[in-house]
Amino acid sequence: MATPVIMPRQGQSVESCIIAKWHKQKGDQVNVGDQLFTYETDKATFDEEATVAGTLLEIFFEEGDDVECLLNVCVIGEAGEDASQFRPAGEAEEAAPQAEAAPVAEAAAPAAAPVAVSDVAKDNQFISPRAKARAEKLGVDIRFAEGSGPKGRVIERDVEALAQSGVAFTKAAQAEAAGSADKFEGTGIGGRVTTGDLKRPVAEAVAEAMNAQEGVAYTDVPLTNIRKVISKAMHNSLSSTAQLTLNTSFDATEIMAYRKKLKANAEKLGLGNITLNDIVLYAVSRTLLNHQDLNANMLDDKMRIFNHVNLGVAVDTPRGLMVPNIFCAELKTLSEISAETKELASACQGGTISPDLLNGGSFTVTNLGSFGIESFTPVLNAPQTGILGVDTIVQRAKEVNGEIVYYPAMGLSLTFDHRAVDGAPAAKFLQELKTNLENFSVLLAK
Amino acid sequence: MPKSQFMDPDVLRKPGFIEFEPIPVNQYNKTIKEESKNFSKDDFLRIYRDMAIIREFEQMLLDIKTKSEYQGIAYNNPGPAHLSLGQEASAVGQAYLLDKNDYIFGSHRSHGEILAKGLSCIHKLDDKELLADMEGFFDGRTYKVVEGKEKDKGNVKDLAIDFLLYGALAEIFARETGFNKGLGGSMHAFFTPFGIYPNNAIVGGSATIAMGASMFKRINGKPGVVVSNVGDASMGRGPVWEALNMGAMDQITQLWEEGYNKGLPIIFNFFNNLYGMGGQTMGETMAYNFLARVGAGVSPTQLHAERVDGYNPLAVIDAMRRKLDIIHTQGGPVLMDTLTYRMTGHSPSDASTYRTKEEVDKWAEHDVLVNYEKKLVDAKVAKADDFAAMREDIRERMKKIVTLAIDDSVSPRMDLVKNPNIIADLMFSNEKVAKMEDRTPDVLIPKEENPRVQKIAKKERFGFDKNGKPVSKNKVYQLRDGLFEAIIDKFYEDPTLVAYGEDNRDWGGAYAVYQGLTESLPYHRFFNSPISESAIAGSAVGYAMSGGRVIAEIMYCDFIGCCGDEIFNQLAKWQSMSAGVLKMPVIIRVSVGSKYGAQHSQDWSSMCAHVPGLKVVFPVTPYDAKGIMNSALNGTDPVIVFESQRIYDVGEQFHEGGVPEGYYEVEIGEPDIKKEGKDLTILTIGATLYRALDAAKELEEKYGISCEVIDARTIVPFNYEKVLESVKKTGRIVLASDACTRGSALNTIAQNITEMAFDYLDAPPVVVGAQNWITPCHELETAFFPQKDWIIDAIHEKILPLPGYTATHNFTETEQIRTNKKGV
Repeated sequence: MATPVIMPRQGQSVESCIIAKWHKQKGDQVNVGDQLFTYETDKATFDEEATVAGTLLEIFFEEGDDVECLLNVCVIGEAGEDASQFRPAGEAEEAAPQAEAAPVAEAAAPAAAPVAVSDVAKDNQFISPRAKARAEKLGVDIRFAEGSGPKGRVIERDVEALAQSGVAFTKAAQAEAAGSADKFEGTGIGGRVTTGDLKRPVAEAVAEAMNAQEGVAYTDVPLTNIRKVISKAMHNSLSSTAQLTLNTSFDATEIMAYRKKLKANAEKLGLGNITLNDIVLYAVSRTLLNHQDLNANMLDDKMRIFNHVNLGVAVDTPRGLMVPNIFCAELKTLSEISAETKELASACQGGTISPDLLNGGSFTVTNLGSFGIESFTPVLNAPQTGILGVDTIVQRAKEVNGEIVYYPAMGLSLTFDHRAVDGAPAAKFLQELKTNLENFSVLLAK
Repeated sequence: MPKSQFMDPDVLRKPGFIEFEPIPVNQYNKTIKEESKNFSKDDFLRIYRDMAIIREFEQMLLDIKTKSEYQGIAYNNPGPAHLSLGQEASAVGQAYLLDKNDYIFGSHRSHGEILAKGLSCIHKLDDKELLADMEGFFDGRTYKVVEGKEKDKGNVKDLAIDFLLYGALAEIFARETGFNKGLGGSMHAFFTPFGIYPNNAIVGGSATIAMGASMFKRINGKPGVVVSNVGDASMGRGPVWEALNMGAMDQITQLWEEGYNKGLPIIFNFFNNLYGMGGQTMGETMAYNFLARVGAGVSPTQLHAERVDGYNPLAVIDAMRRKLDIIHTQGGPVLMDTLTYRMTGHSPSDASTYRTKEEVDKWAEHDVLVNYEKKLVDAKVAKADDFAAMREDIRERMKKIVTLAIDDSVSPRMDLVKNPNIIADLMFSNEKVAKMEDRTPDVLIPKEENPRVQKIAKKERFGFDKNGKPVSKNKVYQLRDGLFEAIIDKFYEDPTLVAYGEDNRDWGGAYAVYQGLTESLPYHRFFNSPISESAIAGSAVGYAMSGGRVIAEIMYCDFIGCCGDEIFNQLAKWQSMSAGVLKMPVIIRVSVGSKYGAQHSQDWSSMCAHVPGLKVVFPVTPYDAKGIMNSALNGTDPVIVFESQRIYDVGEQFHEGGVPEGYYEVEIGEPDIKKEGKDLTILTIGATLYRALDAAKELEEKYGISCEVIDARTIVPFNYEKVLESVKKTGRIVLASDACTRGSALNTIAQNITEMAFDYLDAPPVVVGAQNWITPCHELETAFFPQKDWIIDAIHEKILPLPGYTATHNFTETEQIRTNKKGV
């Protein structure tokens, strides 16, 4: 029996996760315990293991897709089984708003440019049970139906109309086109879309987009206030400081194991929400006081050395970047840091963050690891003297007792203000941080 | 309205006085010595024994209710126990002369009456009859429990007393071995083989039913009298007055034919224990002062009313002897005001806040057993020891009966886990019985000579002529003809069939369904009732449970409100409450009005459908009217037949070949497809069918939507198969009827369809009912009852938006929420 694999919900506040990597491909044989895919929240990375054995029948999302929690991600079953019933209903919907907002010029880019998106089923599109059954029978992709029933409900006649208009798929084509929001022209029997037809839309899309350029090729969007603030701050940071970046990586085996243990015992311990990022924050808070020049603000004629670690956490919000602070982080437990981070992030995203929490930071941590960034140059949150960038985890090889072994390496990118700190002290901080993270259990014991 | 009775103003306008005869009050005054002519020593002692058995039975129940034990046997009885301690002499005195052909009907406080009547019958029946009655009852299920356990081995009467006490107690304790398999209980225990008919938990509920039973006896020439035993406080209830009046109505002696024109053989007995629960009838809640006074107000015979001293069994027997003689010679009804007193509370939870200890103590000094014993000892009929021995014997017997009745292994309860359908299977008898008795029906002329039959013979039995043109109203066979044909056929087949209601005879019913019936039927089979809906429906219940078949007519559906108890509590329940002992072949014809405003235009079919135990039908074509009426009349279940006044004159438009002349049945419970279609189903109840057909026509012609129109025909029972098949085909359904939308049976049907055909639905089933308002005047009715365009609007708004269509009525969700919020 085919079994769907859902995108797990890593804690109540997580609404979606990004698929970082597929470890199996469609058609692969899967055993219990095999890694299926790696996925990330904004703060951490997880591996999803198979809990049933069989063939990976279907993959509904690509690497990099942001997948709503609890949606079916893939299906494992016996070879040849039909997995289409597990296809998430809203899978194609993502494309719609994106396409509407995206600059038209970008629409010319292959694969990223859906065509005739207005035909795609809208958010909260209701479909009558009868229409669903009819679409199944006719081989019509119901996502393309235009609902003409009460409250826009897709009813039987809409499916009939769709079938009449030719958008019907052969079984094979339907399976292949699954996940695509494109519209296809059927050339098969009774106007059915065949697998051959699936290849056509790209060229058509380009043509259509080129035509569209004859009209308006761009859109002017006025800056929001927050964007203006960010713009000013970033420019000020780069123009008034002497910043440079050091990159390193550490063996994340221990913190991943630790994280896994917390997750496995989530019910018992109630610590299932602690992310890898939280662990990094904790380590930073415990390391920083040994490197006081990095726990400081560079003011015009003086350095303000902080007695406590007021740890800034960069949060990506719909309105733009925000950096709330965890005050006295070195006094807080991992669990408290984790909880506070989530609260702050959610307050920022909801726009309810108190301005008091946005000022007075002594150091900042920013994480782009969830986007697969291997190393980058964080921009100082001036007048702070340091900012740590957390990168994604990549497999690295190292030699252990003459053997090459692979280990998960998590990148760290430290930008510091050379006006306040020299290269060696900054490197020492990174080194100590790396040691603390690689021996996290020891750090916890301190 | 008989023309034979001339309402002469010269006579009617003359001055004068209405004169009354004195009403006797406690006039009995005989000594034991004087009574020795009428009673042997055994008789005297048996009267004591019977009273003592009742006393012990009720005391046992009181012990169990209040102390959870009797003679050391622990038991808890959660059910009710309305005890008649103190009233033993009244019960035994009444039953003394009655035999199994005499029926008694009781109240919630009737344990004593059941036992007294049973004991009296046991004394009168020979062993063979007794054994047959016991063995034949529920295949001997009750009998087997007590068989062979009699103290005096081989003494059938002794065994029968065990049987009687056990059957009653097992019933009170809700055991399957009880007289009604535990479905009746304390307030409804009865045993028809001994002439013990249902007791009734509705105060005064037995009056109309008993009157109907006495009608059955008179009309069908059956021996015996009927006794309605109700309490003094029930005189406050309208149905009791209706029963007194209808039971004594003039026509029986003045218009009914020779042989049937003697007053009904009924004793309206009131066990007057002076309290209705705590309400003191004499001095507080009633106006009569003496209950017997009421008789004088009902008829010139004063109902032969009398107050009898119910604390003296011999006084009651004396009165019964005289009253039975009146019934046998002049005819009834008779009213008895049997004074008595209940020593315990209304129920064990009664704190007697309404009477003093002095009052109760004073009545205790008059204790019936003590005083009767003393009189017999004083008169040297027996010694005190004889009575003590009798009491000891009774206690021993009662202990044996209690032990058996609480033993789950011999007295189990219904196993509804193992057999979950036991009660469900008792809700309807579902039998087909062409005639309730096999004898020649009493009619006036051969059916072929009936003028209406001859008139119908000339009518076109299909609504359209060869060219498809509608046949004119005067020539077409109408819905009312379909009803008439079925009814007159049954009158010539079933001799027990009677029909009555308001303005039935001569007038032919308010809507001429019965036109012509007068010519065929004698008065006693077809008559006008007083305007007494309770008595009409209640007497039908009594008539049917005695073995007859009835068609009772309620002129307007709205008047069901006047006989709610009789239809909902009595008619609907006695088949199942008797565990199938009683049958209820009653047709209640109900006419649904229109044009007459708020109190004459309501469709209450849903209300009837809500109450379990009633079959509810609503035929709206001549073919269905005749076929369903035939089915109803040939069955043994109560059927409420709804008829719409809008369409009494409609011709048959659906059944090819028109309405058959011969007998046929339309099975009750089967909806009918009146028009086939493939895109949308419209299911209707009642006359709304014709508006739905108009809507279907417009949908088809203007919007190309092919509608399947289904007529429910029946609400209870209802076979969903045909409807589901249709909905699976079309995927869409609108349900419409003239009943107010809130609580309409259509909602139940819609819900069931949703559950059973969900995956086939293209939209939720939509109910289009009448507004939740009063019915306004005729001119405004189109705003109240569902119309063609409402149906189309609902389809457009909720199911299938129609291109270019604009709805004129508000079927939006917002409106639905708003109106419901307002309760309209």
